[in-house]
Amino acid sequence: MKPSLARKLPLILVAVIALGLPLVVRSATYLHIVILLYLYAYLTTSWNLVGGFAGVLPLGHATFVGIGAYTSTILSLQYGISPWIGMLVGAVLASIVGVIIGLPTFKMRGAYFALATIAFAEGIRVMVENIDFLGPFQLNGPRGLQIPPLKTGIAHFMFAEKEPYYYIILAMLAGVLTITWAISRSKLGYYLMAGGEEPEAAQALGVNVARAKLTAMALSSFLTAFAGTFWAQFTLYIHPKSVMSLDISFEIAFIALIGGRGSISGPVLGALLLRPVSDFSRIYFGSTLPGLHLIIFGVVLILVMLYQPRGLQEPLTGLYKSLMKRLSGAREATA
Amino acid sequence: MLFILEDAINGILMGSIYGLAALGLTVIFGVLKVINFAHGSLLMVGMYVAYWAVVLTGVHPYISLVIVVPVMFCFGYFLQDILIKPIFKAEKQVREPITVIIVTTGVWYILDNLSLMVFGPQYRNIQDNPLQGKMLEIGQMLISVPKLWGFCTAVLTALVIYGFLQKTRMGRAVRATSLDREAASLQGINQYKMYNIAFGIGTAVAGIAGATLVPFYNVFPTVGVLFDIKCFIIVVLGGLGSIAGALLGGMIVGIIESVGPQFMTATWTEAIVYGLFLVFLFLKPSGLFGVRYDW
Amino acid sequence: MKILELHKVQKHFGGIKAVEDFSLSVEEGEIVGLIGPNGAGKSTLFNCVAGVFPPTSGEILFQGENISRQKPWDLCRRGLARTFQIVKPFASRSVLYNVMVGAFATTDQRAEAEQRALEVLRRLHMEDKKDLRSGSLTIADRKRLEIAKALATRPKLLLLDEVMAGLRPTEVDEMVAIIKRLREGGITIFVIEHIMRAIMALSDRIAVLHFGTKIAEGPPQQIAHDERVIKAYLGEEYGAA
Repeated sequence: MKPSLARKLPLILVAVIALGLPLVVRSATYLHIVILLYLYAYLTTSWNLVGGFAGVLPLGHATFVGIGAYTSTILSLQYGISPWIGMLVGAVLASIVGVIIGLPTFKMRGAYFALATIAFAEGIRVMVENIDFLGPFQLNGPRGLQIPPLKTGIAHFMFAEKEPYYYIILAMLAGVLTITWAISRSKLGYYLMAGGEEPEAAQALGVNVARAKLTAMALSSFLTAFAGTFWAQFTLYIHPKSVMSLDISFEIAFIALIGGRGSISGPVLGALLLRPVSDFSRIYFGSTLPGLHLIIFGVVLILVMLYQPRGLQEPLTGLYKSLMKRLSGAREATA
Repeated sequence: MLFILEDAINGILMGSIYGLAALGLTVIFGVLKVINFAHGSLLMVGMYVAYWAVVLTGVHPYISLVIVVPVMFCFGYFLQDILIKPIFKAEKQVREPITVIIVTTGVWYILDNLSLMVFGPQYRNIQDNPLQGKMLEIGQMLISVPKLWGFCTAVLTALVIYGFLQKTRMGRAVRATSLDREAASLQGINQYKMYNIAFGIGTAVAGIAGATLVPFYNVFPTVGVLFDIKCFIIVVLGGLGSIAGALLGGMIVGIIESVGPQFMTATWTEAIVYGLFLVFLFLKPSGLFGVRYDW
Repeated sequence: MKILELHKVQKHFGGIKAVEDFSLSVEEGEIVGLIGPNGAGKSTLFNCVAGVFPPTSGEILFQGENISRQKPWDLCRRGLARTFQIVKPFASRSVLYNVMVGAFATTDQRAEAEQRALEVLRRLHMEDKKDLRSGSLTIADRKRLEIAKALATRPKLLLLDEVMAGLRPTEVDEMVAIIKRLREGGITIFVIEHIMRAIMALSDRIAVLHFGTKIAEGPPQQIAHDERVIKAYLGEEYGAA
């Protein structure tokens, strides 16, 4: 087998499995779980653009999910605008908010930045929770907004079965991974990595570190908002605690950190490993041992930070590479 | 007018308790240069320890401090020793490793959910404890007695900590380590032991704050979350590492919280606190009394 | 053409006068050295020129334009590059990656940046090390990498801050040869150095800084015999005529 084909084989395999999954998994519950898994993989990969590539620790990303969800929902409920257009509007809005948050906070280091993102996120959530009307737009405070499933079809981003949602989120995930890969190889990617690792040296080499970080933030918040719209159209009910809570922000960050921020595969790997833990512990232990999955998260997070601070993707990709070497070595021997 | 004064006084008293809670955080930061995201959870643990001490032995809540303080000190000491020390050793050059933030966030999640599993989600408070609902009448104003006790405890604790850090040999060793790890260790000071002690003190103070709250505040697993964010706000307002700043910052928040609702909804009061926080973060990150830090 | 001019530059930090009334001009194609005892203010001066902080007063002109308030990244785009005394490689990344960061200052395309980076590495005889993790290099190689990164930005003026510190004599000679070749390639060099034989061999002119003021300026031989310079380095007892 040609080496270039051998390298592409795992990717092809994954693509085949991903595309064919709904044909094999017929249970709506399990498909629902997989969809949420993809959603979190999408969220953590978008987060990674700032949290991994730019080297800071944003802990309030759920805000952008919320902005996306509320924007598209309000536009479709009150004005009949298609959720797809609302999705774009929400993303632009989230991007603007992201830049506003980033402008003053990127000057801060480490913990102060993390605190500032938490303060912004909680501040916005508290406001949304307590406002019924923002100008002409109905936010409904803590009761949130419900989306009646009146019209279905792709134009309305509304489906009766789970399968279409599956393919949409799969496409979104593939898209964000491609974007991440492209950025990592581009000038912006190099500049972000340099600015994150040695800001002074980077500046002396022509890198406007602040501008690079803001660009990453704008992109990240833009993409994260898409997920908000998807969530709204999928669950048909949004309220501040469900789309903007600190818990979601933290879960996104934790998954990326455990998987390995700064790498392309890390966040996805993290989601693949942790979401099933979360879902199954909730299903089987939810009543007897509530919050068990969060304890497991916490323990795993601490263990990973102590022993593999670059995330689990490092040992896993190492394993994968040696496996590939073994396989192609075996192939050459038999050729 | 009198109501506002009454509110203000009660606000200051409550604020001093907030300040007491934040005191532990500021000590930990001042020495380790680490922001302990699990601080609220430590406060929660302190509250449960005090609660159970009172319920099981029937003593006055403030006598429970005899149990609370050593238990919490040891808890903090070992938390630092087992979880955070390895990171300091691994990342020697980094002045304040982000990894520590992540680890303490993990501790937060574990502690909160562990207590949810073990104690259940119900709100608890100590029925007919000697301080419950007592009010002191000064002229026409009603001042909350448990909060007054809290105020006195806060001031006393602050003075004790200050005295420890300034006057005792070990306290000076702790301060030396905070200024320069390397130099202190060259002087024969075991820097890691100092960190453990500082963390132990910070946790013990959180425990004291918990015991102060138990007479009038509900105890439940996620009570720490509210205080966590509030403590960070206070510590930024007052200045990271400053004892006086923690108390003052706490009182500012306390006053806003109690006087604010006279003029606006509770939400906007909260929003003002967040707003003030952000203003300080951007314009004066070293806070009112903090040391200028190279952010 | 005067590529760099400093007019009465002062830098004060609160009460400390790090640089006092310093004037100098550098012609295109020169190699100018800056020496002085430790703490004289040399790195502070470099940081002013490189845009890390602005001078308290005085003017800094680059190619005739006032750059006193410009930021390091803008200065880099204009053709002013610098190295750091304490080398700062992007340690977790490969040598090639490090140089490519610099190369992106002149292009937006990855392929082009890679090409330019490889060219620079070839010029400095480092292309065999291009895939090594920069954090694991020897000190001599790390110093060369510092120069490679700065070189990739296609500078017209290069500020070298103690690139010889920590090198063995043979490595020092290699470095001197490299820097001379850079000048032949058309780059003006402004260099801080402590290793006397290197700076004597390299410089067309030398300026001497002592407690923030310039105490002497001239060709290397003249400086070597200047009484004030000798006094500054060795103390009063050695200042006899």
